[in-house]
Amino acid sequence: MRQLHTKPFPYYVGIYSLEELVTSDSRVCVINILGAESRKVTPVSHEYSGGNVVAGVQYGREGKLETALGDIPVYPSVRDVMKAGHRFDTGVIYLPPLAVAQAVSELVSSNEELRRIVIVTEKVSTADSRNIRVLCQEFGVDVVGCNCLGVANVWDNVRVGGALGGDDPQLTLRKGSVAIHSNSGNFTTTMAEYLLTEGFGLTTAVSSGKDVYIHFALPEFLYAAQNDPRTKAVALYVEPGGYYEKMALEMIAERKFGFSKPIVVCVTGRWKKDIGRSCGHAGALAGSGDDALSKERWFDDYFGVPCFDPDAPRVSRRGVRVASIQQVPAAMKAVFDAIGEQPDFEPRGDLNLKPWLGDNLLPLPEPLDVPLAEPPEPHAATLREINRQVGAQYLRRSMRNTSGASRLDPDSMVASLHGRSILELSERSVEENVYFSLAKMMPDAKDLPTVNLLLNLFLKLDDGEMDAVLRARANDATPNAALASGLAALGDAPLLARTRRQAALIIDLIRAHGIDEKTAGYPDAFHAAVAESCLHDDPGAPCCPGASTEVTEFLRGEVLRSTKDCTALKVCQAILRQAEAEGRHVRDLQAFLLAAMTVCVFWQPMLLKRMSRRTVEDAAGYLFLIARQYAYAVIDPSTNTAWQRLTGPLLSGLTGSFTVNAFRIAFGRDPEDTDLTEFRYLIGLTLSNGAGTISAKGAKESVSARNHLSMVYVGFLANTGLAHGGNGFEAVRFLLRYFVDSGLDDPDGNASGVDLSALADRAVRDYAEFKDRAKAAGNLRVEPIPCINHPVFKGSAVNIDPREDFVRGKLREAGVGNAFLDFYHHLVKGLYREGVTRNVFCVNIDAVLACMALKLVWGDLAAGTTDERRIADLVFTLFLYGRAVGVTAEIADHRDRGTDLDCRTPLSELEFVL
Amino acid sequence: MQISGLRYGAQVLGLVDFPHPEFLTGGATNGEIRDLLARYGKIVAKPVFYSAVGKKGKAGLVRVVDNLPDALAAKRDLYFTSLGEGRRKVQANGVTFEAFIPSEIEVYFSITESTRLRRPQFTISPWGGVEIESLEQDRIHTGWIDPFIGLKSFDLTNALRDTGCPPRFISPLVQHLPKLWDLYDSYGLSTIEINPLRIRREGGRYIPLACDIKAAFDQDNPASRRIGLPETIFQTDISAFEQEINMLRTYQGQSDVLELNPDGSILPFMFGGGANSAATETLGQRAIFASDFGGNPPYEKMYEIARISFRHHLESANVLLLIGGKANNTDIYVTFRGIFDALRDHMTEHGHHPLYVVVGRGGPNLVSGMVYARDILDSLKLPYRFFGSDTSMIRTLEYACRVDDWWTLEGKDRYLEVTA
Repeated sequence: MRQLHTKPFPYYVGIYSLEELVTSDSRVCVINILGAESRKVTPVSHEYSGGNVVAGVQYGREGKLETALGDIPVYPSVRDVMKAGHRFDTGVIYLPPLAVAQAVSELVSSNEELRRIVIVTEKVSTADSRNIRVLCQEFGVDVVGCNCLGVANVWDNVRVGGALGGDDPQLTLRKGSVAIHSNSGNFTTTMAEYLLTEGFGLTTAVSSGKDVYIHFALPEFLYAAQNDPRTKAVALYVEPGGYYEKMALEMIAERKFGFSKPIVVCVTGRWKKDIGRSCGHAGALAGSGDDALSKERWFDDYFGVPCFDPDAPRVSRRGVRVASIQQVPAAMKAVFDAIGEQPDFEPRGDLNLKPWLGDNLLPLPEPLDVPLAEPPEPHAATLREINRQVGAQYLRRSMRNTSGASRLDPDSMVASLHGRSILELSERSVEENVYFSLAKMMPDAKDLPTVNLLLNLFLKLDDGEMDAVLRARANDATPNAALASGLAALGDAPLLARTRRQAALIIDLIRAHGIDEKTAGYPDAFHAAVAESCLHDDPGAPCCPGASTEVTEFLRGEVLRSTKDCTALKVCQAILRQAEAEGRHVRDLQAFLLAAMTVCVFWQPMLLKRMSRRTVEDAAGYLFLIARQYAYAVIDPSTNTAWQRLTGPLLSGLTGSFTVNAFRIAFGRDPEDTDLTEFRYLIGLTLSNGAGTISAKGAKESVSARNHLSMVYVGFLANTGLAHGGNGFEAVRFLLRYFVDSGLDDPDGNASGVDLSALADRAVRDYAEFKDRAKAAGNLRVEPIPCINHPVFKGSAVNIDPREDFVRGKLREAGVGNAFLDFYHHLVKGLYREGVTRNVFCVNIDAVLACMALKLVWGDLAAGTTDERRIADLVFTLFLYGRAVGVTAEIADHRDRGTDLDCRTPLSELEFVL
Repeated sequence: MQISGLRYGAQVLGLVDFPHPEFLTGGATNGEIRDLLARYGKIVAKPVFYSAVGKKGKAGLVRVVDNLPDALAAKRDLYFTSLGEGRRKVQANGVTFEAFIPSEIEVYFSITESTRLRRPQFTISPWGGVEIESLEQDRIHTGWIDPFIGLKSFDLTNALRDTGCPPRFISPLVQHLPKLWDLYDSYGLSTIEINPLRIRREGGRYIPLACDIKAAFDQDNPASRRIGLPETIFQTDISAFEQEINMLRTYQGQSDVLELNPDGSILPFMFGGGANSAATETLGQRAIFASDFGGNPPYEKMYEIARISFRHHLESANVLLLIGGKANNTDIYVTFRGIFDALRDHMTEHGHHPLYVVVGRGGPNLVSGMVYARDILDSLKLPYRFFGSDTSMIRTLEYACRVDDWWTLEGKDRYLEVTA
């Protein structure tokens, strides 16, 4: 077969001089231009090069890629690019590895003017790489790569291929007289940076890749460098594996081409001699004879001098080898001195240790204690700006059908919130779970009293606030609707908005002045800023709605008395003291104090990047709205004296557990210990059932519509109902049918005084008869008994819902019995025994909720102070109690990560039916 | 990914019907061994190494036996024998009993990629059975292979003639050897070596048989998975840590690790092949593993990689090191978020671990990444120093080594006092 070959090479090389490898005349077509990497890199390359990308290909699509120099048209194939009249001589490929060879074939077959291909893709198989070579050799096309970052011609301001020089190539790629050939893409840019420190810029830089096949390797690079009038010297970075360097040096020694320019080379990888597998660079694994030591020897023999010693520099006119990349600049300077040439410009910077950031926690001994240095611009400006930021940051994306807060395990059907299973969370108090849903971590013991205080404080209702709720109840609205009517009227309540602003102000003050836990005294600038933005002189002025009230004084005392070691708290205390010392007043004091408390309790999770700054600023709002839902949910406000006390104006009950207060609101009495245990399980188990529930979706969709928090909770409430949250009553009704006349005194199963087994047998008989009647009537679908069986936990001889099993075990451990739950277990066994079911159905988790709820109201039922209707509302309310806390996590998550209208259903997913 | 010997090599050769001697594995019964001996007179006992291992003969690990007691003695001696030293030491895991093939010649044949020719090449010698490097040049022939056409018969014929192969053996060799190219090309091999091929006479015909095989597979070529070799044979030299990390390996950002010294004191995240080389060389035995996490990995992947790394190795580390040159397109903020979120979560779950953090990096969103890391480290009360792209990477690595020394000597104690 006749092969193209270019003297002096046994293969085709289309490049005579480095200056022609890529030029300002190069015209580029990028394959997979809209892929993730190309999308970021191609616009930068295009703009740096003055607009050299004429078109792109994205298989199966048409479109455009926006750049500052105008849009690059995108076509479905190379043929379409040609048909549209675009001419190009260089292809760049970003495709996945298995598609690369095909794309090369497409390029060479479609475009006779093609001269170069740069393959950025890594992990292209050796087989494909060799086929690419044969094809391109046959067509006379030079290839750079694979697994490379392309080529930069700095004199022409052109960059083709990958991201050489990063996202701001002008900073690193400066015009000069050194050409670089590097097996590492990263080190191509790094060497360019390093060379600046001795005043050297670049002519052309080539990232060659380090696969087994390097298509533009050292022999042809040196040949082209020799013929490049701009290039005075060459810098190389070489890894083990392959004989490219040996071949190049032999060709020079055999005078196959003349080479008179000095080389500074760094060979690394001695340690790879003992390794049997590659790590990163597929080709950087030597066999025998091409390891790092061999390569060092090749170059040392060529140079005739040993490895460069910066303390006693010795080089030859041919160049020198360096032991580490940081010696490249010094060696290049020595080499330029040897050949009587000057660097390209004044040195820029140096490579000495210059830490940009360091802790002030641990003093270091002398040699390690290098003083911090200001980063060079633009990094210094960026640092100043970013120092103001704090908290978790997320990349926004569509959060439709996506949650960063909850998950449902499809095998166990147990939901988890922020990585913790709801079974675990059901053993925690309501206040702990409220904190957890926002902070993604449990509160510190020192923070819990503050969390309780805030939640309890937010139970206090304003005059007339219950009107909408009561009106809704009078109209037979379901509990969710009643709560929603109250919340909707809150809007962005002025106190919430002001607290939010104060929280932002506090955080800004802390970050702007670099205050942390080590800060001993605050700078004057801080005090000046406080005086300017936080303080005023006239408490009676209209802009100061936070005039001192009983609540404000109480909160001020709490804040000043606290000894918690928290930066935010100390800053707020300092502000209060400054006001006092200067005889001035804090603007909007009540909002400031509420903000101080919420920022303080959530400060640590924010620093740990668990919470976004926005969520911390909104935290008071979240706590307020959760507490309000609990307050609105009272069944009988006129007779529930506990509720009246908790929601009334007197500042009592603020320091107790919010869980206990929630129980009082729900049941109108103080809880026993066993009551609290079951109440915690009730709330905890309903925290979440994953983001796919319609209640979670309601909240997320309301966030997506960019509503205030109050309206977001309305979205959540609106998507609960008799089928979701309110359906628990079906089980209660079923239980009541058998227990109401059973003579059951105490539903604690240990001493119920009722033959539960006989009761269950009766239920079995009733159901068997019901089933037979239904069958006889031709009803194929028989109404099931509520709360038994499950679509996942079925099919075995004895089926168990692990969630129910868990809770029942915990109750047993705690010595808490439940006759209703025991009844259910008798029931499922009885159904199997009588042949009504094929196996023993599980008692599912909904039974637990129904049984616990019924047990808690049993006394009231027996006393005649409640009825079925109230119990139905209560069961629904208990669901809302738990779910409101859990959905808070979804809300915060979606607000942090989602985008406007991301919950829309795309047209392609919609169906129309007649 | 390498194999040697007929234990699994036969399966590979069988894909192209390349002849090989009959053999038994270590689980053969005495009766089967006796039967093999009866039919062939002699059998060759060899240890089974999972990776590609040479010089077995030289190491006395190939035994030709002609009776059952010797065969069983060979089995006992060779079953778990080892070869090599240090990181190159390999452990056998079984034996094969291979039919002895009388042959007038032993042929060496290999295919590999030539970086000089930039195409695949074959090497052949009818004077094989020994180290190929020890042969005179006129007894070896190396030729290139056109990947689109394959191994050409005339090339093989000319090569065998030129190297002095007896004519009667040329035709059978030329008939079978091209199959090895089919194997090489179709199944993602990066090297195949048969040494020796022995030629058996059957009636009037000569059949070349591959009496040993070494093959390496290109891990970037999925074709090798079609062979159906059990994954376990490639995993013996991979640690549990490496295995877990390599499961995250995709073309979208590397996730290569190589465990160097589990008792090392620096846990290094290296970004880019260049940083991998330079860092591993500078850190030496301190480095717990070598790594290359370049290529702009997404957050989730970086987080998982970090979690796995911390779970396996944080306990023994003095220094957590993030090192790389000036990144071209890796988003430093994303990678740092992944690593430091993982550190935070690991310590939350497993408890606090005293650690010094050194970072040397450059690239897009560098400052955002540094500040993110700083905030987490401040909250975790861990000390740190961050260097940007205006500090030499090697100096940063040397600094990390000095911090490591100091931490061992007294730094950790000082830290514990300060944070008590």
